[in-house]
Amino acid sequence: MASFERFEDMCDSRLKPKILQNLLSEYVPNEKQPLTNFLVLSKVVSTISTHKLLTEPPLASIDQSHHGKSKSAVDDWVNRLLALVSSDMPDKCWVGVSLMGVTCQECSSDRFISSYSVWFNSLLSHLKNPASSRIVRVASCTSISDLLTRLSRFLNTKKDAVSHAAKVILPIIKLLEEDSSEALWEGIVHLLSTVVILFPAAFHSNYDKVEAAIASKIFSAKTSCNMLKKFAHLLALLPKVKGTEDSWSLMMQKLLISINVHLNNFFQGLEEETKGTKAIQRLTPPGKDSPLPLGGQNGGLDDAAWNSEQLIVSRVSALMLCSSTMLTSSYKSKINIPVGSLLSLVERVLAVNGSLPRAMSPFMTGIQQELVCAELPTLHSSALELLRATIKSIRSQLLPYAASVVRLVSSYFRKCSLPELRIKLYSITTTLLKSMGIGMAMQLAQEVVTNASADLDPRSVEVDAVSNKNMSLTNGAVLQACSKKRKHSTNSGVEAENSAFEVGVPHNHSSSPITLKIASLEALETLLTIGGALGSDSWRERVDNLLMTTATSACEGRWANTETYHCLPNKSTTDLDEFQLAALRAFLASLVSPSRVRPAFLAEGLELFRTGKLQAGMKVAGFCAQALMSLEVVIHPRALPLDGLPSLSNLFPESNSLASQKHNTPNPNKLNGIAHDGDDLCNKWLANADVPSNNAIQRTLETTLPFQETKRLKVGNDLATVTSLGVQDPTDMVASENVQQADVPVQVPEGSLGQISDKDATAPQDGYVEVVSGTQEGEDYVVKDSLMEEASIGKRESLDESDDDSIPSLKDDDFLSDSDAES
Amino acid sequence: MEISVIASSSVESEIGSWDLKTGNKLLQFKPCASPAHGLTAVGEKFLAASQLRKESASSGSIFYWSWNKPQVEVKSFPVESIKALTANNEGTYLVGGGTSGDIYLWEVATGKLLKKWHGHYRSVTCLVFSGDDSLLVSGSQDGTVRVWSLIRLFDDFQRQHGNTLYEHNFNEHTMSITDIVIDYGGSNALIISSSEDRTCKVWSLSKEKLLKNIIFPSAINSLALDPCGSVFYAGARDSKIYIGAINATSEYGTQVLGSVSEQSKAVTCLAYCADGNLLISGSESGMVCVWDPKSRRPVRTFNLGKNPVNNIQVVRKTIVANSNKAQSSWKRRGSLIPPPLEKYERSGEDTMDGIVTIEPLPYSDVPVYNSFLSADLIDEQVKELQQQGSAATEIEMERLKLEYKRSLQMNDQWQKNYENLLQVVMEEEQIGGSN
Repeated sequence: MASFERFEDMCDSRLKPKILQNLLSEYVPNEKQPLTNFLVLSKVVSTISTHKLLTEPPLASIDQSHHGKSKSAVDDWVNRLLALVSSDMPDKCWVGVSLMGVTCQECSSDRFISSYSVWFNSLLSHLKNPASSRIVRVASCTSISDLLTRLSRFLNTKKDAVSHAAKVILPIIKLLEEDSSEALWEGIVHLLSTVVILFPAAFHSNYDKVEAAIASKIFSAKTSCNMLKKFAHLLALLPKVKGTEDSWSLMMQKLLISINVHLNNFFQGLEEETKGTKAIQRLTPPGKDSPLPLGGQNGGLDDAAWNSEQLIVSRVSALMLCSSTMLTSSYKSKINIPVGSLLSLVERVLAVNGSLPRAMSPFMTGIQQELVCAELPTLHSSALELLRATIKSIRSQLLPYAASVVRLVSSYFRKCSLPELRIKLYSITTTLLKSMGIGMAMQLAQEVVTNASADLDPRSVEVDAVSNKNMSLTNGAVLQACSKKRKHSTNSGVEAENSAFEVGVPHNHSSSPITLKIASLEALETLLTIGGALGSDSWRERVDNLLMTTATSACEGRWANTETYHCLPNKSTTDLDEFQLAALRAFLASLVSPSRVRPAFLAEGLELFRTGKLQAGMKVAGFCAQALMSLEVVIHPRALPLDGLPSLSNLFPESNSLASQKHNTPNPNKLNGIAHDGDDLCNKWLANADVPSNNAIQRTLETTLPFQETKRLKVGNDLATVTSLGVQDPTDMVASENVQQADVPVQVPEGSLGQISDKDATAPQDGYVEVVSGTQEGEDYVVKDSLMEEASIGKRESLDESDDDSIPSLKDDDFLSDSDAES
Repeated sequence: MEISVIASSSVESEIGSWDLKTGNKLLQFKPCASPAHGLTAVGEKFLAASQLRKESASSGSIFYWSWNKPQVEVKSFPVESIKALTANNEGTYLVGGGTSGDIYLWEVATGKLLKKWHGHYRSVTCLVFSGDDSLLVSGSQDGTVRVWSLIRLFDDFQRQHGNTLYEHNFNEHTMSITDIVIDYGGSNALIISSSEDRTCKVWSLSKEKLLKNIIFPSAINSLALDPCGSVFYAGARDSKIYIGAINATSEYGTQVLGSVSEQSKAVTCLAYCADGNLLISGSESGMVCVWDPKSRRPVRTFNLGKNPVNNIQVVRKTIVANSNKAQSSWKRRGSLIPPPLEKYERSGEDTMDGIVTIEPLPYSDVPVYNSFLSADLIDEQVKELQQQGSAATEIEMERLKLEYKRSLQMNDQWQKNYENLLQVVMEEEQIGGSN
């Protein structure tokens, strides 16, 4: 009979009870029918969530019979699950418990509220029952966690929810102590964190027990590294239970003491003994009682594990991770962060590099040193992570300590050569720059630039890839290729050959792995974002150059690499993509970041992003499009009229006259009248903003001024300078490539002389000289720019004045837009 | 978000506060008589103002008010009279400039005087933090504007090496600095200073030099910056508010926005509220006027009695909805006013006890959402079960087979041994029997 019923489409709600019944009869086991295929379960779950099978239509829906059907279908479902949950067979029971968790997530609010209590008790019975199998227990933990999560979204059942959650604590702590399966531990940790986050009140009386249980797991030699992290995370959440600043401080103090005590043992013979005692003293001020050790009276500090270096380090790392998590997660009350102790701890760890102080050497055997050195990188890595968390959490309040942190970071940068640690260092510098701003950029710039240059240097890469004899040759080629590429915009045959060396550079056989390069690029990008304008005198040119080379070589010939390398299943492809993206991002930052000169590699950048937009994979192409948009402002400086200013001059004409009375207003203002006022203001402003050096003018004209534009200028006004410089158009330059370098110094004075004389001839206004004198450095450029502006404006003016016919001006406009599009 | 305007006067009276959107009068705080630039909101936490004192008084004073009480909550007495007072954006540090030219930096949470340094030769008149709080710009009666990097000030190591403390020193002004503003340019920011010498000067932070000099018809008391750049507002002594163009072609690139009052009472202070683009001016006549800079018309006026206004601040407060207990308790804790500011720098070990207090973010109370895991767990466990059917079990099976084989061999061995032994014993017995 049912088979004759027709449905509208796949979304018809009458379909739901049918499908659910079908699932129930076909796939879900019952009392008699055993479970045959586990894989079906995943299918059941996905069908339920796709079709929302467990939702029930509201009672007031149109079709009463349909409501009844779907209700009875869900009723059947729930009853079947409850039967399964209480089944004796572990596999059926497991199915019931797991699906119950899904039901908690998916079912309607009314059903959940009316029956969660029953579900909860049936799930809890498995945790209490010593006979239930492990897999059932794991599933129960997760299902209860989901039940509590759903419950937390109802505000009116808060009290009841807390009392339910409280019932869970003791049984699972008991389980945690008795059982030794990692899967179960994971489930328990998850359930406990759910309770901590959602119902902290449920803990109150059992707080100490929980802390002790978790601490004992952390101090247990049997816990795996992965689980250690999870326990550490849970431990870090515990202060939320009480939610007071004292509980936070106490936990932090306990952690720091424990870490330092461990280190005292580990560093024996590697550092002065006084350091450890001082650290402990600092943590337990003489006037106050020292807190109980972590995890209660017998905090596990006296066990036999003291002799295993590896165990100590993994333990200390877990404790440090715990402190880092505590620092970075949010709290409802204010917290007192012991920055001094944290920083001195980090300093203490980083100071030990495995070398023996001369006085200590007789007390340590070679084997001991070997064991310590093997574990030190892990320890340093954790310490750096702790440092980063500290900086992140206190942000601007790091101020009094900032200088010492900078010194710590820079000195460690110099010592540290392990890529993994350097990556951490870069991320610390990035965090420092982001949180402390310009002041920090002033302090760190040199350090970041030096290190990033070393890590990004393509030459450092070849060392282990090519034999010694080849190496010098390759280096030469690479260098040559770099310097050539800057001038070429097209790839000549010779160059393509050279760049074959470069193609291989960033990813294989590299002494600085790709992730390190990405980290250093990110650091450079942040530096440019925060303090790009500061380095104009010193590091900026070097960085711009470096980023241009890196970006070009990262992109050369492998835009399409996502497809080409696709056959390799490992993830190095995404690494490469990320490197490309990081290089492009940093390059864009170098082009956009404020500077006194026009960006030297603008042309290369535009070309690179344009090709990238067309050829690269979607992610990179998306970024390239964004980059082009940002650069559009650079190539077409916006001269939008200021909101309101022109109308103001209409409203208050006397103010204009005031200005002109006292001073001779420069020509353009008079010529263009009020309407152009704002425009002109902006242009002046832009002209002022970019004040290039002589060299840069040369460069700018060569590379960025499009040929069309120079032509236009020539047409508009007979500018001797522009013409003379305009001869140097891109095609000529490619030809005279080799003599270019030698020519530059000769050309510069020529150009500037020409400009000045030209200015005298065509623009005899005092106004300009005055404006320009304010900015000595970029005199020539300002003149040039304003002349250009004037030239075009003047032309338009003259056209308008000569005859009122609109055709010439239209032509003019067309021409302008043409050239714009081409540029 | 609640945006209010607060205004104080140099004559002892109350600090007025008004809601900028509705124009309603809010709570008044008293008593207060503060110098120009002596009023500041400390983050969103509370209000602080330095106090003008009689010449005879040996120490200065700084008062705190919490937002919900009209009376002074905390009084501090620094060693000298504090002219300019400002706090960083987070409200964690308070910086004051004294009449002697010394600048003081206090940590708000503890009241500790973290740093004191000699900033200028004469009284400090205004103090401004850069957008990212890492730089401090100070102006003085001696006409100098100086830029300080706070990080470097705390760097005792560099200090001992005899470097100058300041980053930049701009000294082209000929008379006392009256106000300083800094724009959103980050490391390439512009600093504009106004002075009694009837000029405003535009400085570049990155180029470390004067970019533009703009001459006004009258001495300028205060500045406000249009955040979108290129234009700033200058409140003059001749009761007019001028518009200055930062990049004007001439030195006279100014226009008049409007004048506050007819009686030519000086405009003493300006503030810009980016939310709604409003300019707020205060005048010696006691009027606080809100302008719409686009239409150049006053939108609203407030009146602070007859007393001359000399400080205006726009204060933003995040309003936390009182939906549950935890939040209100946070509010209670959050509104606690910190201890008074200390007079002297601590010395020795005690200087930094290494504790930093972090206030919770106002939104850290949003309900947490936990994610559901059951569905994932099922997939995981199914996979595990599946795998146990293959790899793990196979290995186990092989191991067991091997073991079984070995024990079979062992069994044979024992069997043999037993038989051998039995044989020996039998033989011996036979021999014994025959004997």
